[in-house]
Amino acid sequence: MLQCIFLLSDSGEVMLEKQLTGHRVDRSICDWFWHHVISQGDSFKSQPVIASPTHYLFQVVREGITFLACTQVEMPPLMGIEFLCRVSDVLSDYLGGLNEDVIKDNFVIVYELLDEMIDNGFPLTTEANILREMIAPPNIVSKVLSVVTGNSSNVSDTLPGATGSSIPWRAAEPKYANNEVYVDLVEEMDAVINRDGALVKCEVYGEVRVNSHLSGLPDLTLSFANPSILDDVRFHPCVRFRPWESHQVLSFVPPDGEFKLMSYRIKKLKSTPLYVKPQLTSDAGKCRVNVLVGIRNDPGKTIDSITLEFQLPPCILSADLNSNHGTVNILGNKICSWTIGRIPKDKTPSLSGTLLLETELERLHVFPTFRVGFRIMGVALSGLQIDKLDLKTAPSRLYKGFRALTRAGEFEVRS
Amino acid sequence: MAPPAQSQRSPSPSQPSGKSEVSDLKLQLRQLAGSRAPGVDDSKRELFKKVISYMTIGIDVSSLFGEMVMCSATSDIVLKKMCYLYVGNYAKVNPDLALLTINFLQRDCRDEDPMIRGLALRSLCSLRVANLVEYLVGPLGSGLKDSNSYVRMVAVMGVLKLYHISASTCIDADFPSILKHLMLHDSDTQVVANCLSALQEIWSAEASTSEEASREREALISKPFIYYLLNRIKEFCEWAQCLVLELVTKYVPSDSSEIFDIMNLLEDRLQHANGAVVLATIRVFLQLTLSMTDVHQQVYERIKAPLLTLVSSGSPEQSYAVLSHLHLLVMRAPYVFSSDYKHFYCQYNEPSYVKRLKLEMLTAVANESNTYEIVTELCEYAANVDIPIARESIRAVGKIALQQYDVNAIVDRLLQFLEMEKDYVTAEALVLVKDLLRKYPQWSHDCIAVVGNISSKNVQEPKAKAALIWMLGEYSQDMQDAPYVLGSLVENWDEEHSAEVRLHLLTAMMKCFFNRPPETQSALGAALAAGIADFHQDVHDRALFYYRILRYNVSVAERVVNPPKQAVSVFADTQSSEIKDRIFDEFNSLSVLYQKPSYMFTDKEHRGPLEFADELGNLSIGEAANNVVPTQMVEENDKDLLLTTSEKEETKGSRNNGSAYSVPYDGSSTSVFASQTQIESAVSNPTLAGHSPQASFAIDDLLGLGIPAAPAVLSPPQLKLNTKAALDPSTFQQKWRQLPVALSQEISVSPQGAAALTAPQALLRHMQSHSIHCIASGGQSPNFKFFFFAQKFEESSNYLVECVINTSSAKAQVKIKADDQNTSQDFSTLFESALSKFGTS
Repeated sequence: MLQCIFLLSDSGEVMLEKQLTGHRVDRSICDWFWHHVISQGDSFKSQPVIASPTHYLFQVVREGITFLACTQVEMPPLMGIEFLCRVSDVLSDYLGGLNEDVIKDNFVIVYELLDEMIDNGFPLTTEANILREMIAPPNIVSKVLSVVTGNSSNVSDTLPGATGSSIPWRAAEPKYANNEVYVDLVEEMDAVINRDGALVKCEVYGEVRVNSHLSGLPDLTLSFANPSILDDVRFHPCVRFRPWESHQVLSFVPPDGEFKLMSYRIKKLKSTPLYVKPQLTSDAGKCRVNVLVGIRNDPGKTIDSITLEFQLPPCILSADLNSNHGTVNILGNKICSWTIGRIPKDKTPSLSGTLLLETELERLHVFPTFRVGFRIMGVALSGLQIDKLDLKTAPSRLYKGFRALTRAGEFEVRS
Repeated sequence: MAPPAQSQRSPSPSQPSGKSEVSDLKLQLRQLAGSRAPGVDDSKRELFKKVISYMTIGIDVSSLFGEMVMCSATSDIVLKKMCYLYVGNYAKVNPDLALLTINFLQRDCRDEDPMIRGLALRSLCSLRVANLVEYLVGPLGSGLKDSNSYVRMVAVMGVLKLYHISASTCIDADFPSILKHLMLHDSDTQVVANCLSALQEIWSAEASTSEEASREREALISKPFIYYLLNRIKEFCEWAQCLVLELVTKYVPSDSSEIFDIMNLLEDRLQHANGAVVLATIRVFLQLTLSMTDVHQQVYERIKAPLLTLVSSGSPEQSYAVLSHLHLLVMRAPYVFSSDYKHFYCQYNEPSYVKRLKLEMLTAVANESNTYEIVTELCEYAANVDIPIARESIRAVGKIALQQYDVNAIVDRLLQFLEMEKDYVTAEALVLVKDLLRKYPQWSHDCIAVVGNISSKNVQEPKAKAALIWMLGEYSQDMQDAPYVLGSLVENWDEEHSAEVRLHLLTAMMKCFFNRPPETQSALGAALAAGIADFHQDVHDRALFYYRILRYNVSVAERVVNPPKQAVSVFADTQSSEIKDRIFDEFNSLSVLYQKPSYMFTDKEHRGPLEFADELGNLSIGEAANNVVPTQMVEENDKDLLLTTSEKEETKGSRNNGSAYSVPYDGSSTSVFASQTQIESAVSNPTLAGHSPQASFAIDDLLGLGIPAAPAVLSPPQLKLNTKAALDPSTFQQKWRQLPVALSQEISVSPQGAAALTAPQALLRHMQSHSIHCIASGGQSPNFKFFFFAQKFEESSNYLVECVINTSSAKAQVKIKADDQNTSQDFSTLFESALSKFGTS
């Protein structure tokens, strides 16, 4: 049971305070918290659950805003953390992004939302779709509308029908002139590659995102061509469990608008689209660096937004690094960032140069880890394929769209 | 997140300093209060917004209360909301003015818009002013009957708020039974969920005083009700599902087919998008199958994938919480996860606390088949930029080495660390090589060759230095320059700040002396002289001891200081298995994140509702056996201790005496005991007899002589306890869940008793002498926790007691449960008297 929620700005200022139970939580807890955060230092991220002398604190940080919740009783930790994550999601959805100003400008809406999301310390509705019907988002349309009609209330007059329906995620029967449904496969590849090029670990975490604008109560079925490759799956509450269990078919009545239908994990993948070959040789107080990047397995579509980043070890005095393609920057915190973009046809991008070590050091003992970023449109690297999407009692005009995207998650190459 | 360095709250230039702005607002509000001009709502809204924003940044705007209330007559819902917010914040400090708001809130409670009805009711209940509760009952009553579920939902929570302000008003209005009706019949699941959470709190709080409430609370975990909830679980919102699942963990199914039914029903919850639901489900699964070993294993296999997915899918914060739980499971059943070791590989970007958990898991899952890969991976981290993690990974390699049989490859790795020429890597590796040699002396040859090359000047950390010195002493025979290295260290005796290192140096010098006397003699003399002059008493004492024993007889000294050593088989674990079990029972709670059971960090008063079943925890059989046959366990432990036979016999003898003493009564003397407890209870009960030292002397005398003399007049409680009561932990656990709390009270412990309670065992023996047996205990000073049980003489009626003693306040919180409720008061008196005697007799 949460007792209080605070929103803190990136300088530790309390932007919002919402007491939830009769036990008032004094604001001084935020001072304690902020002090604690600072004492942890910059490089060391503070833990999401902290025990202060008086309270247990949950914290979630999004875009510089700290969502802090306090409790004095034992409770499932994930409940606190998940709830704060939802709050931040809903707020960023409502306010079109999160930052100090937007929260300060709309704090009344934030209060209203919190009021509906949690009562007496226990979470209630956290579905953005339903909240939107109780409290209108502060978008331009509603502002214009309020000027025109003179009705300046940002609260809808009706209560959401769904609060009483058995499908809590769907508002009562919306109507659309154009019925559309889009399905996106978004995958992130996590990989660790050793200095000898061996793949230590490679797996894909993917999400099926659906954007649905369908009239009435649509009943959808989505099937995959190769569902057997999925290692583990998690579903939005709307997915029916039995059809999945028996035929690996997703059968569901979607919420209106955008939502995450399913997330999945596929492990033990055998190859990566890119190779990165770092070479570091050091002697006599200098270290020669040479990094090659190229395509290992052509995914059939262009790989773009390729980046490579690494932290220079603290014992390095200066670095002189150049590349034959793209740009190299050394940022203030000794992070070297190489932006490659696409791989040209005629040459292999390479980064080379020397690092100067601290005077008493002969050789380099700390080896940097290279973090790689890339994006491939139109391909789900795991090989997962959508077979078909069916709609029971299809409306006369229905548009279905499918897309796929893979990007690098935690893609690391050791040297 | 990278918080900027300054913690100062620099007020932004636009931020008002306070006073003048507030009085300015007051004036403006007053002007608007009576106005009915068009557009007045817009200007009000601006003003309200200002007021709320002042309130938010912490400026006291309570002086505007009157004006705010005056302006609250409006039909604009946003204005209303802001007003409610304001009123809710300041009503508590302005109880008189709060009365002004009652009127408009009550009117809003009858509004035709259900949204407004709900909001008004919520605000009305959030005022939390004690003398206004009479105004709450009416609106709440009609709110509970409202046709709109939103209003009912709010009203249910309102009842709970009312209960916290004034429990008697809430009970008198019979709200709990209305809630119960709603909980069982309402069509809206959110209303049902709110009823459930409200009733849990109300009934738990009432249970200690009202038998009906405790019965109702028990009914919540009865089969029909649990099934009613389970069958509808998919209709509940995700948070309510967590609530239901938490309740289900407390339900004890009657047979295994029921367990399977529940698990089948809940299996798809493991695939839920909300991590809190998944973890709650896992907890249900683990709890249900605790007694079914095979199924329990299958559950581990089943929950593995969802947990691993949760770790890799969520935000870092979620990952961490899940990872902590995974850590717990991995530690409990490492073999289940041994093929998933790659999931515990650290990523470069992860925060250190995550890496630390992962390192521990990697250490735990290492077995014959994956050791090579894991150690290779760990060695990668040794070159990590993050120094604490690099250290931890080296330690992890060492731990794996110590738990494996085939250490060939690992030793090579460790020796490579020594050659890495990084001071902290060398330091950690030295400590490890030392431990390794203690366990596997056969590796000494390879290790010493490398260790010998390390210059002691490059080792600064006390622990590492001590390890190096130990090795120099232990293997001085095989290390060419050992005496000279040690000698140079002795020369710099004064520069050595760590007493630990100096102690090791003394011992190492001795060992070296026995092996190579001519080379060491002079250095040893210098060392002993320096040691005797040392200001640290331990160093001084040890040096003096060595000096005297050498003077007495050198060969005796050698036998004492440098006897042939036995390889250490197992290094002691830091966390006891009891604590680990306890944490496991608190799965899906904060305990897991802190790696401590909740009684170690939560204050009693802050415990949540319906905590009763959790507290009992898993009383492992081993622990119970420990209580029953202490001597046997001790003997087993003794095998590991290097005691001489005579010493061993001595301890055994005294221990036997001890145990004979702690069980003073056999079956034939039960009557003696029974009458004696009567006197005790009479004496310790001040209303019946004054507690005089003479009286307790008399009892001591009785104890010694065993004369059955009891003045029957003074002893109303006619309760005899069975001295040989027996109860197995699982029955205890089951009974504890089923029985209501018969009595709950605070008992004072005598100051002597509090002082004597340094370890739980002291009290156990004492209580056992009063035929009250302990089934589980734990805690550290000043908080101890015990579970006792006792049985009625010649009847199988049990008394169960939970007793939390705080030695610093000399108070004990006691909860008693009994099969036979009528005698629980008698038992309580008995228990109290027994406890109060602790330390005085």
